Amino acid sequence: MASKKSLVVEYLKYEQMLKEISKGKRIDGRKLLETRSLSIEPGVIEKANGSAKVTLGNTEVIAGIKIQTGVPFDDTPDKGLLIVTSEILPIAASWAEPGPPNAEVIELARVVDRGVRESKMIELTDLCIVEGKKVLAVFVDISVLNVDGNLFDAASYAAVAALLTAKMPKYKIIKEGEIEDTGKQIPLVTKLIPVSTTMALINDAIVVDPTLDEETVMEARFTITTTTKNSICAGQKGFPGGFSLKQIELAVDTALKNGESIRKKIKKSVELAKKK
Amino acid sequence: MSKLLNSKNRRLDGRKLDELRPIKMKVGVIDNANGSAYIEFGRNKVMAAVYGPKDVHPKHMMKTESAILKCRYHMTPFSTGRRKNPAPSRRETEISKIISEALEPAIVMTDYPRTAIHVYVEILQSDGGSRCAGVTAASLALADAGINMRDLTSGCAAGKIDGKVALDLDEVEDMEGDADLPMAILPNLEKVTLLQLDGDFSHKEFIEALKLAKKGCLKVYEMQRNALNDKYFGNEKA
Amino acid sequence: MPEVKRKYVTPGELVGKGRYNRTSNVYQIEDKFYSTRVGMAEVINDSLRVIPLTGPYIPREDDLVVGKIIDHSAFAWEVDINSCFSSFLLAQSVFGRDYSPARDSLTKKFAIGDLVTAKILAFDRTRDPLLSVSGPGLGRINQGEIVSISPTKVPRVIGKKGAMIKTIENYSKCRLTVGQNGLVMISGNPEGIILAKSALDLINHEAHTADLTQKVQDLLSGSNNGEKE
Repeated sequence: MASKKSLVVEYLKYEQMLKEISKGKRIDGRKLLETRSLSIEPGVIEKANGSAKVTLGNTEVIAGIKIQTGVPFDDTPDKGLLIVTSEILPIAASWAEPGPPNAEVIELARVVDRGVRESKMIELTDLCIVEGKKVLAVFVDISVLNVDGNLFDAASYAAVAALLTAKMPKYKIIKEGEIEDTGKQIPLVTKLIPVSTTMALINDAIVVDPTLDEETVMEARFTITTTTKNSICAGQKGFPGGFSLKQIELAVDTALKNGESIRKKIKKSVELAKKK
Repeated sequence: MSKLLNSKNRRLDGRKLDELRPIKMKVGVIDNANGSAYIEFGRNKVMAAVYGPKDVHPKHMMKTESAILKCRYHMTPFSTGRRKNPAPSRRETEISKIISEALEPAIVMTDYPRTAIHVYVEILQSDGGSRCAGVTAASLALADAGINMRDLTSGCAAGKIDGKVALDLDEVEDMEGDADLPMAILPNLEKVTLLQLDGDFSHKEFIEALKLAKKGCLKVYEMQRNALNDKYFGNEKA
Repeated sequence: MPEVKRKYVTPGELVGKGRYNRTSNVYQIEDKFYSTRVGMAEVINDSLRVIPLTGPYIPREDDLVVGKIIDHSAFAWEVDINSCFSSFLLAQSVFGRDYSPARDSLTKKFAIGDLVTAKILAFDRTRDPLLSVSGPGLGRINQGEIVSISPTKVPRVIGKKGAMIKTIENYSKCRLTVGQNGLVMISGNPEGIILAKSALDLINHEAHTADLTQKVQDLLSGSNNGEKE
């Protein structure tokens, strides 16, 4: 990764940020627990089995789903595969450079993966064709187009919306161990909808959906994924700072509440896309 | 037995032999970039962004008298029929190089000594002719970044399907057809800066395809100018 | 009245034919001049130029710039001046010739994240820009907000003999420092800053349109009427 010197937040702005936060507000006018405007556009890549473009403030990502046959892992012969990858495309920021993913980008993919996997959004046993031999592999590839903070949530919403609209090839078994593509596409069966909420700790205050400037000065970060208004399925703390127990409680409350409202938005955009 | 053309010389998607696919262009789509453009060339969906001129890393690549141009053509894993491995392939490395060499003659490189200009072409969906769409988008992104240029670079391919010369092949035509001739030109300077060929052309067919590709490039050039006009001059086009 | 010819151009487009003594943002083949930029071409008497609507900041000696301290070594600060070149402010030029890294602390003077107004002391094709902060109005910026505009729009923000700046300053009751590099420092009360920002935004997006001054005045006075003090 190239120099991130350009990310230095000018001291005057930092001071202003702290001043606003102490008054319960942020420099972009949001309240501490308010998210930026969110738009979800499923179906942008016709060649993918499912896709969605998400714009969260100025952050922009595309997730594409490919569903192909594969070989199951030895220890889970009756389960299909879920593979999540992410890349910050070099078009997305002046410091982003092409190359193998670094730790930050791998963490991003893994946190999205965990949210989807642990929510049981997809039943992996549904993806088994011939036990031990042939299963379906669901690839979720996330490309970040423009970086302005909170890639975790933008990537997660894009992945989830893409999965909700995904169609997969239908296979039939013609002989023992041999399968054939019927040429038909059937919807990928999904259950609960995981929604992640990422918060940053700045000067002992919790702010939701941090911008890049906020992430540059934050002490710690916390991502919580919820599946209903009362259940949590994944979490990830990042960055060197630490949270108090009280702050964690606030974060969980916030994630559950925010999860409900985002879930509604995702559902609505998916319904709209399906009608088209 | 003809597969790609019907009896009236119409193609599978209904186009005439000398007809382009529908094309859409938009300038200024990536907030963080110095210049950017999005283009849809049929079902190709391509985003290009320019960062720079900026300092050169590693330092030994620096040229004291001019800028260096670094170009990357890259396909997202979901851009193709079967999923593409995200790691760059030899094909992508080659296309990066020829796109760079198609753009560089248009740029006044000596105006930016000791700097690097980065051009990134991301294929979000590919459908035959993505390198021509890519070079076209990249040129718009360079103009949007305000880098001194002698001309735009405009790309379009011609080819041969079922024995007939045709403009702008899509993926099926490229795979099933007889030949493909991707090209890019500097329209005002009348120079060809990208040219590849694969397949089988007679001398006469080659000349015909070359002329057809040039016609296509000039149409693309008009659309590039319109896209720049839309962003910069709005309705006040003079 | 000299004849003025104007038109919008894109790179490679023919701007004019003939002999011109003064040209900018064009290149010449025989007697033909072609634009190198997206912008407004203007032909007046023997001058032919393209006023670009987008482009990077290329430093020139004596330019006033607004910069951000992003790094330092024992002998210099590195300053981001929104350009393709990293620029440097030498410790010697701040502490004097007898500067000693053992005695003087760079970070006490300017820390990473500080904003400064500076002049380009030296720059040419062979070396990175050197800055100076000695002179009236130069040095650390202690208050205000920074707004970024396209460096190509700076002349319009300043206006003829500074007329546009004065207009914005009068209406918004703010002080503006316009760096040639496209960074503008605004200081004043919060309402004034918002007003000044919207004026800069208008200029940034509509610098090429006719009667820009009128549009800016309408915006500034309109908002003033809206929220009478």
